[in-house]
Amino acid sequence: MQPAPHTVHDAALLSRVARGEPGAVRDCLARYGALVWSLARRFEGNDAEDAVQEIFLDLWKSAARFDPRLSSEPTFVAMIARRRLIDRRRMRLRRPTTETIAAEPPIADHARGPDTCAEASQAARALEQLRPEQRRVLLLATCHGMSHGEIAEQTGMPLGTVKAHVRRGLQSIRAALLGVHEEAP
Amino acid sequence: MTRPDDPRIHDLLADRALHGLDDADSRELHSLGADTDDTYDLAAAAIDIATLPIEPMPTALADHILAARVPRTLAGWAIPGSPLAAPDVGDAPAGHPATRTPARPARRHHPAVTWFAVAATILVVVGASWWLLRGRPAPAPTLAALRADLIARASDAAPVAWKATPEAPGASGDVVWSPSAQRGYMRFVGLAPNDPAKTQYQLWIFDRTRDQAFPVDGGVFDVTASGEVIVPITAKLHVDDATLFAVTVERPGGVVVSRREHIVVTAARS
Repeated sequence: MQPAPHTVHDAALLSRVARGEPGAVRDCLARYGALVWSLARRFEGNDAEDAVQEIFLDLWKSAARFDPRLSSEPTFVAMIARRRLIDRRRMRLRRPTTETIAAEPPIADHARGPDTCAEASQAARALEQLRPEQRRVLLLATCHGMSHGEIAEQTGMPLGTVKAHVRRGLQSIRAALLGVHEEAP
Repeated sequence: MTRPDDPRIHDLLADRALHGLDDADSRELHSLGADTDDTYDLAAAAIDIATLPIEPMPTALADHILAARVPRTLAGWAIPGSPLAAPDVGDAPAGHPATRTPARPARRHHPAVTWFAVAATILVVVGASWWLLRGRPAPAPTLAALRADLIARASDAAPVAWKATPEAPGASGDVVWSPSAQRGYMRFVGLAPNDPAKTQYQLWIFDRTRDQAFPVDGGVFDVTASGEVIVPITAKLHVDDATLFAVTVERPGGVVVSRREHIVVTAARS
């Protein structure tokens, strides 16, 4: 990832947690509670509370792994949260459930503003560069966790097209964040 | 960084970032030497942030997380190199990515460590033999004895009778709480046994010094037998001035904020 233009305060918070500094956990909750809660709500709906507790437990354990050269803190926190939420979804999908039809989430206004992390702004710009159908498929996979098969069923696209859109779309966003032009392998 | 010429690696990394991997795919990614590449995961996280409607986390949930996690964290949970540190943290100092560190060779032990282990083993064997020869230690005091001891020793711990609601006709007993000791016990008679897979009982403590909309979580518990049942109170936060105790029926594991739909007993403390 490109060196992220975030503040020194941002970069220091997870390091403080990793060092076990008093007050760091409280500060971390205050700073990232809304982000983690919102992510958990997106994945888990009304059952987000347990997920949030598990995510912060993971975050305390993983805080020492944060490297400001690779990402900003919010993106690292969101990555840790997503991994836990994906694990929970995989566990849950072993049981039969009903899924609601997912709509394509709009790019949030805050993603274009100055208050969000650099990667989110870059991702928002990169998403807008994708073809509409590719962006739709990528967002259904990323933000709703829909499988390729589920997306194909909902959109009517062939399975192979869905897979290609998802993979190339994510590669485009990744390349934008890395600041390089990557040819699809 | 991921090798750009191996499409399989990119497929696996993209799949991991979006849907997670099963065990076989995880092993394959590890064998390809790419499982420490977080770039796809970070890209997916950035997309999530870019499209996420942010809403504030409930204050009660933050309190709950703090109450549950702070002591363990300060005890060194997340400190690199600590015996309590998570395994994936490794020996990387704070701020350096353990994920970029190649797998370490098997650790060589100093001879002194080996001798220490032998001595410790001998001590354990001798200690166990002594324990077996002298017989079992005195059994731990029962909850009934602990409750009686608290009432006897703590001047601020007096039992308050439960008042049953229509949800639990026939339930009785009392609750005793010591503000100075921050300990207490609930005693129930006639409270219906619950199926822990479906529901659990949860105690709520209303503290005069806190927002009454968010009583303190006193812990979840099960009633597994009829007759008298004594349950210790495990308040998740410091309770300064308890005014009311209430037991609700909640989903397994309890909740952070109760909807108070199924209150079974209450006890008002003067």
